[in-house]
Amino acid sequence: MSQIISLAMVSPGKTVQVVGVRFGWGLQKKLADMGLTPGVTVRVLNNQIAGPVIIDLRGSRLALGRGMTQRVLVKEL
Amino acid sequence: MTNGITVALAGNPNSGKTTVFNNLTGSHQHVGNWPGVTVEKKEGICGYKGYHIRVVDLPGVYGLTAYSPDEVIARDFIVDEKPDAVVDIVDGSNLERNLYLTVQLLEMGARVIVALNMMDEVNARNLRVDIEGLSRLLGAPVVPMVASRNEGTEELFDEIVRMAQREVPVRGLVLNYGREVEEEIAKLERLFSQDGQLCRKYSPRWLAVKLLEGDEDIVSKFNEVGVG
Repeated sequence: MSQIISLAMVSPGKTVQVVGVRFGWGLQKKLADMGLTPGVTVRVLNNQIAGPVIIDLRGSRLALGRGMTQRVLVKEL
Repeated sequence: MTNGITVALAGNPNSGKTTVFNNLTGSHQHVGNWPGVTVEKKEGICGYKGYHIRVVDLPGVYGLTAYSPDEVIARDFIVDEKPDAVVDIVDGSNLERNLYLTVQLLEMGARVIVALNMMDEVNARNLRVDIEGLSRLLGAPVVPMVASRNEGTEELFDEIVRMAQREVPVRGLVLNYGREVEEEIAKLERLFSQDGQLCRKYSPRWLAVKLLEGDEDIVSKFNEVGVG
């Protein structure tokens, strides 16, 4: 059974499945509008110590602020 | 006003909206602000086959649920000013995400023309889009374009004129959301038929969907009108 962690902790190259978004209906909706919904598969392209995390989501690249990525819960595949 | 046409340009950020705007209006543009906010408003004019066309560039948005001023502006312009055509610029290489906004525009009953942009990127990736099929499913004309090469502009103008001249009102797209949600929508629609005010401006179904989404703008409008 794989662990649930925050997207902020995922290394580049890894593919994960989104489980949910913590704290805040507003953020959940905003991310959902851009395609980040529970169950979707996401591949992390870039994740350094500071700065945005870049992901490959449904065929497009998205840059998410670190604070946001700390609130996105994912499961490693 | 038979020769005057107002067109609104909608679309995701980075879909090529500004490029299409420039292709349509050339240097006849004017930049200002939407009233009361710092969001930039761009308008331009152009002529085509005897028509005087006013093009309004709406802010780039991912959806039309009111969370940010950009989305409220885009939405309100379409509802209040009822443009003769709304050109939804879609990045063809990123269809899934872009069509989310398209569907929301169609559900509102806006007079949508889909400008399927970045077709060069689609071809470069060896992808193909079934343009007729897409048009049929959406119930809207689809114009393939490569705005960066000014390709498809004339075809877009033709569709704009065709939409503006259209006598038959555009019907809002109805997507089946599944039995449970549809039951709730039906209940809300029945309630709305008792309230005259809001229903004159917005389609009852669209209002119901927005309420179920918890759309703040629509919720507050209902509170103003005093419906329970």
